[in-house]
Amino acid sequence: MSETTVSIDSDRSKSEDEDEEEYPSPVQSFPRPPPSVNFEKDRHLMYLEMMYELLPYHYQSQEINRLTLAHFIISGLHFLGALDRVDKDVVAKWVLSFQALPSNRVSLKDGEFYGFFGSRSSQFPIDENGDLTHNGSHLASTYCALAILKVIGHDLSIIDSESLLLSMKNLQQDDGSFMPIHIGGETDLRFVYCAAAICYMLDNWSGMDKESAKNYILNCQSYDGGFGLIPGSESHGGATYCAIASLRLMGYIGVDLLSNDSSSSIIDPSLLLNWCLQRQGNDGGFQGRTNKPSDTCYAFWIGAVLKLIGGDALIDKIALRKFLLSCQSKYGGFSKFSGQLPDLYHSYYGYTAFSLLEEPDLSPLCPELGLPLLAASGI
Amino acid sequence: MHGRPRKASKPEEEAASAAKAVKLRSLQSQFMTNHHDKIYTNEAIELSTKLLEINPEAYTAWNYRKLAVEDCLSRIESDPNLVNSILDEELRVVESALRQNFKSYGAWHHRKWVLSKGHSSIGDELKLLDKFQRLDSRNFHAWNYRRFVVELTNRSEQDELHYTDDMINNNFSNYSAWHNRSVLLSSLLAQNADGFMPNERIPDEYDLVHSAIFTDPDDQSGWFYHLWLLDQTLNVETPLLTSSWPSHGSTVSLSGAGCLNGSSSKFTTFCSESGSFPLILYFDQAVGGVSSSTVTTDSELKGNGDLVWEPISYKNSQVSCVWVTHLKYVSSDPCEYKVKIRVGNSPGIVSSRGHNFSAPYEFVFTAHVHDTVKDSQEGIVSWTDGFDIWDAKSKDLNSLITLDQLEAEIDFKWRQEAIDSEVECFGILSDSKIGKLTLARLLMAREAMVSDDAVKGVRYEEILQLYNDLMALDSSHYQYYKDEHSVAFLHKVTSSSESLSRHLFRYRGMNNLVCLRLNNLSLSRIASVEKLLFVQMLDLSHNELHSTEGLEAMQLLSCLNLSHNRIRSFSALDSLRHVKQLKVLDVSHNHIGKHSVDTTRYLCSSPLSNSEWSPDDVGRQNPGLVTKYWDAYFVLRDLNLKQLDIAGNEISGNEFSSFVLQIVPKLVWLDGQKLGN
Repeated sequence: MSETTVSIDSDRSKSEDEDEEEYPSPVQSFPRPPPSVNFEKDRHLMYLEMMYELLPYHYQSQEINRLTLAHFIISGLHFLGALDRVDKDVVAKWVLSFQALPSNRVSLKDGEFYGFFGSRSSQFPIDENGDLTHNGSHLASTYCALAILKVIGHDLSIIDSESLLLSMKNLQQDDGSFMPIHIGGETDLRFVYCAAAICYMLDNWSGMDKESAKNYILNCQSYDGGFGLIPGSESHGGATYCAIASLRLMGYIGVDLLSNDSSSSIIDPSLLLNWCLQRQGNDGGFQGRTNKPSDTCYAFWIGAVLKLIGGDALIDKIALRKFLLSCQSKYGGFSKFSGQLPDLYHSYYGYTAFSLLEEPDLSPLCPELGLPLLAASGI
Repeated sequence: MHGRPRKASKPEEEAASAAKAVKLRSLQSQFMTNHHDKIYTNEAIELSTKLLEINPEAYTAWNYRKLAVEDCLSRIESDPNLVNSILDEELRVVESALRQNFKSYGAWHHRKWVLSKGHSSIGDELKLLDKFQRLDSRNFHAWNYRRFVVELTNRSEQDELHYTDDMINNNFSNYSAWHNRSVLLSSLLAQNADGFMPNERIPDEYDLVHSAIFTDPDDQSGWFYHLWLLDQTLNVETPLLTSSWPSHGSTVSLSGAGCLNGSSSKFTTFCSESGSFPLILYFDQAVGGVSSSTVTTDSELKGNGDLVWEPISYKNSQVSCVWVTHLKYVSSDPCEYKVKIRVGNSPGIVSSRGHNFSAPYEFVFTAHVHDTVKDSQEGIVSWTDGFDIWDAKSKDLNSLITLDQLEAEIDFKWRQEAIDSEVECFGILSDSKIGKLTLARLLMAREAMVSDDAVKGVRYEEILQLYNDLMALDSSHYQYYKDEHSVAFLHKVTSSSESLSRHLFRYRGMNNLVCLRLNNLSLSRIASVEKLLFVQMLDLSHNELHSTEGLEAMQLLSCLNLSHNRIRSFSALDSLRHVKQLKVLDVSHNHIGKHSVDTTRYLCSSPLSNSEWSPDDVGRQNPGLVTKYWDAYFVLRDLNLKQLDIAGNEISGNEFSSFVLQIVPKLVWLDGQKLGN
């Protein structure tokens, strides 16, 4: 998963395929049946249900990201129209059990962040004084927690969003970027995106300084039109998604940017369009960076950027569909490259990509949140 | 795990895996107890080491170690040997975690944290980086870390540039190395460092990238770097004035409302109800600071004190390529007046990248004010008949469109030479798609630099052919090539008076107003507007335009035909809000309303959600319709239209027509019907 590092899922970790080779082996030692020509919805459903029941041991190093894995499964089930397979009350209770709550109002000013923990292994029980020990709640886990709650239709207005948002301000740096946890951590566009999505989902922007976040994002645009994770770094599909989706969520760029007056735009949309379109390879898939192999998840990261700027008509959709189907596992799910075993991360972004391609059986996509479009709950 | 059969594990493997899980779980719980109880003994720290060696993703353990290190450092005071040994141990743990997973964000961050404690040896760090960058030369964690180390230790940018030499020589396909090279060179060129003057350095870079491109023309890395170089070659930092209206040496005929008496053949005739005419400055890049002190006006026209200059751009922006002010005249006072404009009279005009407009430029024109005799008639403007072929001598045109401050640029020669040698070089590689595209871009750049009339415009046919080839060869990027084709085509049309005059007509219906007809050319983008500032009547019908971007500079435009295009919403006409003279607009037969914008989905989908909006009468009476048609509302209410054609769009219908009448009460003609009073 060399490239997927950008996403909210993999903020801290990559190791679900830690011993994978950088490039897929081009030659298979045994003949494989030709890939299906259809999106195999029933198999994907089976795959997700299986994961909902029990995660295979491959995910043990991802323990710290339990909420993220849950988000892939539950939001994935929504895309497949099978949210009824989930016990929403149990899920809501489980997700809420990860919330870090301040013991009193004073502690909001202590510089800590009161979001959600990624898993039990970063969470301690509240001590006898009612205080949290080593509060390691994390922005990405918080995004995933809220995403799950949104997707299952939980009323977000009843959670304590005020302490979450007030304390989230502690994570924003002078340059506009965000740390993921108050103890410290790398700051980059992934967490700017998480913060923007959190504010958007809670419909309250008091948790961040939008103007300074915007300036940070603009500093990350590279000369080739894409965005890097931090200023000066190489353009990357996931970082580009975080940049554009954040600008959209914050309201700095409008709908259908390319058709409108781009001279008034804060970013250079034609250069960005150019870079995005060049990422579609001869095999139909999207690569995350120049000269890297195509990878399932970038069909979403870059496809969604194109959708957000109004350039999705320029995607070669037939070729992309063909590439994605070559990564569809016969057991259900999607893999990073064709011919490999599926994983949750690539499966989820496979579903979002098919939703982007307007596959008839899938829920439509809200590209800026990376979630199914949920009219009822206000997304 | 990928690529290995999942179900074939043998019982003993299952057992081993289960044992591993048990061990990990017990490590984990012991670690959590230590962390909770703030135990920072050697033994406890060793436990977290084990955990991280198994799973570098356990970021809680990295956080624990930071606390532990702080604790230890506070206890040992400042014995430098002990401090070093503690921090060395951290570096060792990170290195071993990175061996397990060299893409672990947590591990790389921990290393940065240790270094920021002041503990570093650049030699060691670079050695470690060499190891990881050899293992995976595209690892962006390593590249980011490298830039961090370089900055922290003040290693010279020249040394880093040599490193990219090595990496590129090792593998031409390493885009990460090319990227780092462009970052370093940008900085060195900007500082004008020794040996890094653009005119000396950039030609060498072209040589380097040629060796990459010609070794493997299918590789993207070199092409991207080449594109960056081209940008560096063309990038003239100092902003320049590209054109103006009125232009130097021209005579404009001015009159009051309605039409000029008689048959004045000058086509620089301008009529205005308000008794003022626009003065337009067009710069080659967005600038700020245009004002009555940076641009002085010396005129005999009365009543023009300190002029107010406005940027024609997004409302909040104070920078723009296009600046406009209005000069007053009194039409009952016929006479000729000289007007002298000096741009850059005092410093203050600055590009958005911070460079000063440094070459003051002066131009003079004559304003010929006429008496108004004939009243205007509110006749309908027809786009189908009443046109005569343009019969004026093209000399007339010359005075309108020539202004090339570019020639004043002293630093121009090396750029021209560099582009010339690139054109020659890529002529032979143009059988590949990217080769064709690069050649087309080079030729466009070359044409923009030509000032000699004899050779101007000769390569446009070649450019258009290249884009035609590309559209046929590479259908997935068809629209992009199509847009570039349109741009090149418009450059060609405006490259000489002869080619432009082929598209000029006289419209009898408005006292022989000059009309530029660019209809039926399958244009998908507008360009070369800086050469068309004089246009008052423009026919762009039967094209493939998605937006009117660019037309905002045409401040004299009064009649515009956009029928049979691909406009999808009124927002795409937003730039027309700046064109205050616009009276006649035809947007019939487009796609307006076909792709409805779901206003409930987006935070700032409609400007209605912005606080600055205060409802006017229409807004108060018809809030529902304003919400439904907000994009039309915001564009149309700012225009002074007398004639509008909207038929043949999804949006048109009785409800929309009656809404239009409310927001444009002065409208006389709607869809060819005269409106009753």
